Amino acid sequence: MAEEIRMPKLGATMETGTIGTWLKKEGDRVQAGEPLLEIATDKITIEVEAPASGILLKTYYGPGDVVPVQEIIGYIGEPGEVVPDSPGAVFPAGDEIPQPSDGKIRATPAARAAARRLGMDLASVRGTGPKGRIQKEDVEAAYQQLQQQVKATPLAQKIAGKENIRLADVQGSGIRGKITRDDVEAAIAAKREASESGESRVQTRKVEGMRKIIGERMSQSAFTAPHVTLVTEIDMSAAVELRKQLLPIIEKKTGFRLSYTEIIMKAAALALKLHPAVNASLKGDHIIFHDHVHIGLAVAVPDGLVVPVVQDADRKGLAELTAECKTLARMARENKLTPDLLSGGTFTISNLGMYAVDAFTPIINPPESAILGVGRIHEKPVGVDGSIVLRPMMTASLSFDHRVMDGAPAGAFLTELKQLLEQPFQMLL
Amino acid sequence: MREITFLEAIREAMSQEMRTNPDVFIMGEDIGLYGGAFGVTNGMLEEFGPERVRSTPISEAAISGAAVGAALTGMRPILEIQFSDFITIAMDNIVNQAAKIRYMFGGKAQVPLVIRTPSGSGAGFAAQHSQSLEAWMVHVPGLKVVQPSTPYDAKGLLKAAIDDNNPVIFYEHKLLYRYKGNVPEEPYSIPLGVADVKREGRDVTIVATAIMVHRALEAAELLEREDGIRVEVIDPRTLVPLDEETIIRSVKKTGRLVVVHEAVKRGGIGGEIASIVAESEAFDYLDAPIVRLGGRPVPIPYNPELEKRAVPQVEDIVQAVRQLLNRA
Repeated sequence: MAEEIRMPKLGATMETGTIGTWLKKEGDRVQAGEPLLEIATDKITIEVEAPASGILLKTYYGPGDVVPVQEIIGYIGEPGEVVPDSPGAVFPAGDEIPQPSDGKIRATPAARAAARRLGMDLASVRGTGPKGRIQKEDVEAAYQQLQQQVKATPLAQKIAGKENIRLADVQGSGIRGKITRDDVEAAIAAKREASESGESRVQTRKVEGMRKIIGERMSQSAFTAPHVTLVTEIDMSAAVELRKQLLPIIEKKTGFRLSYTEIIMKAAALALKLHPAVNASLKGDHIIFHDHVHIGLAVAVPDGLVVPVVQDADRKGLAELTAECKTLARMARENKLTPDLLSGGTFTISNLGMYAVDAFTPIINPPESAILGVGRIHEKPVGVDGSIVLRPMMTASLSFDHRVMDGAPAGAFLTELKQLLEQPFQMLL
Repeated sequence: MREITFLEAIREAMSQEMRTNPDVFIMGEDIGLYGGAFGVTNGMLEEFGPERVRSTPISEAAISGAAVGAALTGMRPILEIQFSDFITIAMDNIVNQAAKIRYMFGGKAQVPLVIRTPSGSGAGFAAQHSQSLEAWMVHVPGLKVVQPSTPYDAKGLLKAAIDDNNPVIFYEHKLLYRYKGNVPEEPYSIPLGVADVKREGRDVTIVATAIMVHRALEAAELLEREDGIRVEVIDPRTLVPLDEETIIRSVKKTGRLVVVHEAVKRGGIGGEIASIVAESEAFDYLDAPIVRLGGRPVPIPYNPELEKRAVPQVEDIVQAVRQLLNRA
């Protein structure tokens, strides 16, 4: 009996998941525990492991499809095992056909040739020959069925048939995604170009997975929340000294090296506690003032960005924050973050201080209402007590959602943050 | 066009050659007054005299040696071996001498010899007079092997065999001797190595030899009538040289191949044809396993019912095709 693959419930609040990329295709052999596909939640993409070993017999959904959790999205089983044509359907009754148990598919050379020509996967074809052998006409029938499942105009179908274009691979631009002649001709042209040019001059990559999520979330935030960005310069002399003294102690205690990120996070957390207007979210007609301070930390990962959340950052010491931030960052880079580690933030810090960036206008990470952008620390001439001296200066930029708060409370928060970082012993209060 | 029997067509081919070419003569056991075991040479003694229609002692070893010698010295002998089973006694002369001489003398000597010999079962001659041993001859480089199935083909192929400068083994199926068909009166030649599509079809190719061509055609008729299966029947006509191209082309069209011969299936020509197809570009067109039908690995029984059961019959071919198309 084939093993069901279900949309996993990756977080307490997860109700649907978006199919990202299938890392295996139908007909591929998979091992239990091997990455099978990527699921995109509203926060991240995550790899889902194969629940069993066998042949990936069926995948019901493609990239971008949104599927409720626990719904069957595919099957793994033995070659030739019959699985329903659609996720809701039940197993076809009776005529169990014995298939070779060695994992091979019983198909004639002509059927294999036809499958190659039509780009069909033999594992998805039902054989009607002796002993369930897949014959050429079975492949052609399955191909026809596939072609018909896809909505396409008769003309598009005809052209696709003539040019061996798999309609399932064509993106439809017509009404409700119907494939038109233009779509098929574009696909033919693309196919031809791909085969003629060998290598194309321009690299393209489909916007999908994490890239797509970031794009959607950032657009949504930037175009819905009226952003205001406040900027201040912070003298980091005392913070530099603090780090110098605490670094060996914390390293000895935790094995992790204290960085400015944790010091800034600690200061921001304390400032947020004092300025609840900034530690808020807009939900419908209501502004929610959070009684806890969960700070998200933007971490760059290959191909994108994730924001793991440090819970109750205001109540944690620098040693604990260091260990937690470093661990989350490593998990992010190794793509091991779970949705629970990515949700529940009330504020976000984005630190670009490792680059030659002085200041920037960060985009709020919804549903939060404010985000702190941190630039590099470098020595600048500043006026102190009537004379010009060099001080390690850092620019902090606070973007806030003007629907939730106004300039004054945001300014007060930023001022608080500046004072805490310039006189870090205040954090002991 | 006039209808004559297979046997008459062979006689006519020989007689017409002997009338025009004084080098051609026939020899064999009882071929003179008696007209041969099956009457193929009836009346030829009267027309050509005992010098050119030579009755020989009952020694295939001797007469095959004499025939090879005659061919080497410039004659074009036709040797009749009364039953193809007796070829075993002539084997050294055929395999080690006739087949090798042209090659070993660098083409300076040649053996333009035709050995005509009746083969096959179905006439109640039992185990020692009913075999189909053509695959042995196919295996030997230097020999050509002909297996006609119709009077027309028999006449044309025999002329081509006589005209050929290499030893040719010419198998005549006993059950075909009385089979009638249209045959032109004038001499004509059918090149060795050209198959004939006896019936066109698109669902399955049957390659059949000798008597099996007729059984395959009968089966094809029935399959079309009862199952709507359109069978293509190919008669290779010569096993060496074999017209591979026609077979491969047909299999590419139909995607299915059944090979039928009377000879024992094990080690038979069917395995060779199946392999040729599997090795060819037709492989990717195969939509079913290749099926061989051949004789059972038993001596041909004397009991007429068992004799029938020992080799493929029309119903065997029908059943094989139906199974192949999953219509059984």
